[in-house]
Amino acid sequence: MGRRFDITFVYDFIPKLLGFLQITLFIVACSMLLGMVIGTAVALPRLFRIPVLQRVSRIYVSFFRGTPILIQLFLIYFGLPELLKGIHLDVTRVPALAFVILTYGLNSGAFISEAIRAAVSAVDRGQVEAAYAVGMSGFHAFRRIVLPQAAAVSLPAFSNLVIGNLKDTSLSFTLGVMEMTGKSQTLGLATQHFIEVYLSLSLIYLAISLALERLFALAERRMRLHEPDVGVLRNQ
Amino acid sequence: MIQVRGLTKSYGKQKVLGHIDLQLQKGEVTAILGPSGSGKTTLLRCLNFLEKPNAGEIAIGDVTVNCKGAGKRDIHKLRQKTAMVFQNYHLFKHKTALENVMEGLVVVQKLLKADARARSQLMLDKVGLADKQDAYPSQLSGGQQQRVGIARALALNPEVVLFDEPTSALDPERVGEVLEVIRSIAREGITMIIVTHEMAFARDVSNHVVFMDDGAIVEEGPPQELFGSPKEERTRQFLKRMTQEWSYTI
Amino acid sequence: MKLDPGFIYDAFLQLLSALPMTLLLTGVPAAGGLLIGTGVAFIRHYRVRGLHLIVAGYVAFIRGTPALMHLFLVYFGSPVIIDFFARKLGLDFNSASIPILYYVFLAFSLTAGAYLSEFIRAGLLAVDKGQVEAAYAVGMTALQAFRRIVLPQALAVSLPNMTNVVIGLLHGSTLAFTVTVLEVFGKANIVANQNWKYFEAFIAAAILYWGITILLETASARLEKRINRYHRGGVA
Repeated sequence: MGRRFDITFVYDFIPKLLGFLQITLFIVACSMLLGMVIGTAVALPRLFRIPVLQRVSRIYVSFFRGTPILIQLFLIYFGLPELLKGIHLDVTRVPALAFVILTYGLNSGAFISEAIRAAVSAVDRGQVEAAYAVGMSGFHAFRRIVLPQAAAVSLPAFSNLVIGNLKDTSLSFTLGVMEMTGKSQTLGLATQHFIEVYLSLSLIYLAISLALERLFALAERRMRLHEPDVGVLRNQ
Repeated sequence: MIQVRGLTKSYGKQKVLGHIDLQLQKGEVTAILGPSGSGKTTLLRCLNFLEKPNAGEIAIGDVTVNCKGAGKRDIHKLRQKTAMVFQNYHLFKHKTALENVMEGLVVVQKLLKADARARSQLMLDKVGLADKQDAYPSQLSGGQQQRVGIARALALNPEVVLFDEPTSALDPERVGEVLEVIRSIAREGITMIIVTHEMAFARDVSNHVVFMDDGAIVEEGPPQELFGSPKEERTRQFLKRMTQEWSYTI
Repeated sequence: MKLDPGFIYDAFLQLLSALPMTLLLTGVPAAGGLLIGTGVAFIRHYRVRGLHLIVAGYVAFIRGTPALMHLFLVYFGSPVIIDFFARKLGLDFNSASIPILYYVFLAFSLTAGAYLSEFIRAGLLAVDKGQVEAAYAVGMTALQAFRRIVLPQALAVSLPNMTNVVIGLLHGSTLAFTVTVLEVFGKANIVANQNWKYFEAFIAAAILYWGITILLETASARLEKRINRYHRGGVA
């Protein structure tokens, strides 16, 4: 199975793989944006307890959280075109990348909606009452008081989602999308140095994950400056 | 008999206990009084090594430990001679009242379960909680939890029971029931050391009173002496302040 | 090609034959991960000298990289390591005699162990120090206090998170198809390809995973209620 381990290949592979980092990041960015739109749309019916829609939201979230991402990927890549053919829509020419982004968008939408719900309910009810008491409208109370606080609260969860999403993109190679993991497969097959190529790839994922984690931690600190003890705790 | 010689304890540069000598007789009830920050709780916690003293010697029953080189075995032996009742009860939250009392008997003293259960039920009965044996700590009032804590300590049949401000976390109306339990076991001749702020109780229940201030023992003696005619100015000041506080609250 | 709802049922029945493997791929790493996770959490919580930095590195690596990488690194890497030591020790042993399945178990156990250790650690922090003191005061040793007082409560606190890890393992078991282990997802691919009915086959697989997920969640919620009965409050 493969050739003798040779660390020099790692130096060789890392730049080659980094050439495909942009595609990985492109998938992450697009699907997270899509996920935020979907997540908000899915969260609203449950936050405002809209009948029927609230039920649909619940099933949507349960399905995308309850099934493996790989199944979702295959279901949408292979299954959606079949369904669309039923309404005479031909999507066979749409690139696999689009399906990947759609799947990850739908998937993170479910998780983001849960994060939004948790964050909004974490904001003290008294804050809204105080906002009304100073004469704000419902909209103003939400935008100026609830939203900023909820955003700060949800940041750690959001950070986890982005990193999780980054790691999940490694599965898009199964549909033949040439991002970093896809490239690593071809490199591995061509050189037969599998361990080195996956080690290189792991190091890249690790570096990006750690960088993202730091970035979000910094952002959280900025957003929570009004809570003095948070700043102190993080400094220790 | 309990003997403490040259016990010192400091946190970094800050000295909390400076060279404490103390000798207590078997069957004696000792009350340790003093203003907060005087080191009385630290002294108590040093006796079972919840705080590690820097130097000195502790002898309880037939176990003598030199604090400087004390190893895990020494500490373990010392702890088996003592039991403690905590200010915040510290019951095991995932165990019922009965299981709390049984825990040490089964795990440490290796009693058979049936024996441990019988003994524990007896102890719970003694503190008046026989009917609460299957309740979890979260279902008990503070006073009831503390009584379970006392039963847990007594069940171990230790040489000495250490009470660390057993009533100061309680609602005022719950203090009485706990003091009553402690008073009744004091009559049985169990050796106890009680750190407390309850002056009247200390005077009433103890046969020996130790007054501490600033990490040192200022004065000790029988309660009628220490409360009636304290020799030291600092003791007088403290007692005066404490009795004044009473007159306000009453 | 038209949608054939009846085939969803057929496919579902066929997938059931691969279900034991999926459950095995979930259960074994869950147990392995719990073992690793408890050990790691203990080492980090009590800052065992020399070890705690190493295990911190392990946790950071696993959390920062996709599970797929763990699988590939173990799958390609451990035979090399095993053969190296077999040669060194002069053993008549070849890694080729080890079934692929064992590598998958190992890889997923390592993945789960890192995540579980984080949750167990959080659980350990949730147990207040006073109870440990009380355990010492009744004469317990540090290990007795950990095993009898701290760990049971820590596990109870982290149960919801641990359930999520198990569900993650269930979903992650689909990755095993990349190293030719035949579980439900691999079987779904075969069923889909043989019949050219992708949507139906993957919907059937999705329903299966969804059902097990809901089952796990329900069971966990029930278990949580039972083991947390000491949090019930109220007067007995």
